[in-house]
Amino acid sequence: MPQDRLFEEMTQAVIDGSPDRARALAEQALKAGIEPLEAIDRGFKPGMDVVGEAFAQGELFIPDLIMSGEAMKAAIGVLEPELLRRKQQRQVLGKVVIGTVQGDIHEIGKTLVGTMLAANGFDVYDLGVDVPAQKFLDKVREVDADVVGLSALLTTTVLNQETVIQALKEAGMRDRVKVIIGGVPAGPEWAEEIEADGYAENATEAVEVVKRLVG
Amino acid sequence: MRTNYETLGSPQFQVLSASQVREVVSAAMEVLERAGTRVYGEDALALLRGAGCVVTEEGVAEGVPVALVHIPSSVVEGALQTTPGRIAVAGRDRSKRLSLERDRFYFGTGSDCPSLVDPYSGEVRKYTFDDVYDAARLSDALPNIDFHMSLGLTSGVLPATYDRPQFLAMVKGTSKPLVITAVDAEGLADQYQMACEVLGGPEAFARAPLFVVYIEPSSPLTHSIEAVGKLLYAAEHGIPAIYTPCIMAGGTGPVTMAGTMVQAVAEFLVGVVLAQHQRRGAGVIMGGVNSPMDMSTSILSYGAPELALVSAAMTDVARGLGVPMFSTAGCSDAKLLDQQAAIEATFSIVVAALSGANLIHDVGYLESGLLGSFDMLVMADEVIGMAKRLLSGVRVTPETLAVEVVERVGPGGHFLAQEHTRRHFREEVWFPGLIDRQMRRAWESGGRQTMGARVRARVRHLLESHTPQPLAEGVEARLQEIVAQAEARHAPRA
Repeated sequence: MPQDRLFEEMTQAVIDGSPDRARALAEQALKAGIEPLEAIDRGFKPGMDVVGEAFAQGELFIPDLIMSGEAMKAAIGVLEPELLRRKQQRQVLGKVVIGTVQGDIHEIGKTLVGTMLAANGFDVYDLGVDVPAQKFLDKVREVDADVVGLSALLTTTVLNQETVIQALKEAGMRDRVKVIIGGVPAGPEWAEEIEADGYAENATEAVEVVKRLVG
Repeated sequence: MRTNYETLGSPQFQVLSASQVREVVSAAMEVLERAGTRVYGEDALALLRGAGCVVTEEGVAEGVPVALVHIPSSVVEGALQTTPGRIAVAGRDRSKRLSLERDRFYFGTGSDCPSLVDPYSGEVRKYTFDDVYDAARLSDALPNIDFHMSLGLTSGVLPATYDRPQFLAMVKGTSKPLVITAVDAEGLADQYQMACEVLGGPEAFARAPLFVVYIEPSSPLTHSIEAVGKLLYAAEHGIPAIYTPCIMAGGTGPVTMAGTMVQAVAEFLVGVVLAQHQRRGAGVIMGGVNSPMDMSTSILSYGAPELALVSAAMTDVARGLGVPMFSTAGCSDAKLLDQQAAIEATFSIVVAALSGANLIHDVGYLESGLLGSFDMLVMADEVIGMAKRLLSGVRVTPETLAVEVVERVGPGGHFLAQEHTRRHFREEVWFPGLIDRQMRRAWESGGRQTMGARVRARVRHLLESHTPQPLAEGVEARLQEIVAQAEARHAPRA
């Protein structure tokens, strides 16, 4: 298959949200000796851009977006080891540690944000739910994160977003990491009150906010 | 394999039991025997006499023979036997077909409102030819509107022949099936000729009529020369006829809902007898805007819960009689598109859809039928979409029960990355077009638009962008000719 045709198919696999096809095309690219970076930048990534735009226009919906993110993830899963072997690095916009704060086991919001960030070029470390403040701090230190994302769905647990920010301050880490918050009881006013750096209403907006914070 | 497994393809809804339906029909037959019905016109009286009816109190009013006719039940029953239970109609786009038969519902506009709200100036003014054309284009563009009535009454034309230019505006504006009104039999004949021009001949019309004609007896129990003339012409020419009493319960009929129904059914059955004796097998559709007279203001209410209730109960009766049903919904007594309009339209649309009436009309009416509102029509289209989702019910299959997917995701996971979600979310979940589900900040930054503002914007967008399929080459000129000839025949002598 000519290279341009292969790139088109990669783009289409992401648009269609097909992890299986994306994975197969990534493998095919490696066999054909295509640079993994080129496969990402010219093949898969344009698909994410198309899908993001169609979502903003109301033509595609959240499940489409997520499945495209999964396809992107599948392709990178194949290409990443090859990049490491070549001591190359794909363009990573930043490292984001994300999780739902202690006392809260609501998963879907932060998972959505994590998927969208990963699909848009961030390295995402998802700590899951009911995450104590110390665990956020440890991970931020370990991976040298640029951003930490705190999710909460309950009016009672939203207070623990502040707890994490306080812990970051006490550990002297507040200046080295940006904090974003999300969840139904959170809001721009709350973000200001607890001195978070950013707030987003939904996953696509979160990508914009994080891009701005690391930009 | 298994046994005794039952499914429901849709929600179930019924107002009257089969016994109650028989009771209503029986009472209507008794009314026709005991009270009788007043019928105008020599042809009609001759038909009824020939059918075995008892014709009394014969006289002449303004040159037209009139009599009180008592109709034996056997005559009614005989006529019902040849009345079709299924009528097919199709727009000038022949793929836009409706099957008017038990339980299949379609929504459409109402006809002949004198005024509209100008979509740009907001001024309340009379409908012009262009406005009637615009109303048709709106119906043409809206996905949940299946048939079109004029919505507006064409002003600025000769009143004696208004129906011909009005038909031209309608048929030019939409390729969907139509329900028309006519001044009299001659007006109906001209529109039939126009329809045959559009379709390419009477054979095409016979195969699937382009329109159904709306005919109204005068309650209580009176059948004017115009109504009867149109009905007999329609039967003769294979034009399906809606014979629809519009009783003001407590005014032109009994105040009890059952009593109003009895009278409405009796009036309709006279139409059945006349049509079947004119031509066996003629399509007759039962109707009614039967609603209480508001005892404070005297208006016929278009938003009353009783209108929805009686329309649904009448649909049960139509089902019992084995005839198609013309019902009413999506209308209001409000003077503009406000909260009342939304409440009344939604209430009646849901009930009418559940009832399974075939032609559900008057979508877009405000001000008790005096104002044909583009805004109301466009908003109601959204409500009908919601009602259709309700009526499509819950599909229960191994695939939709989704046990495997639930197992795959497991406790604490999410379903957004499942192929199952993507495969089904578009068909399982209704997508709003005008309903707002934005989060507050997005809504605020979008200008805090109310439903009314969004509706008005959609009306303008559709008016500015929608082009209906054009009429075939030369057709419009031939239709204009028929209009001009009718106007010449009826022009007041100088």
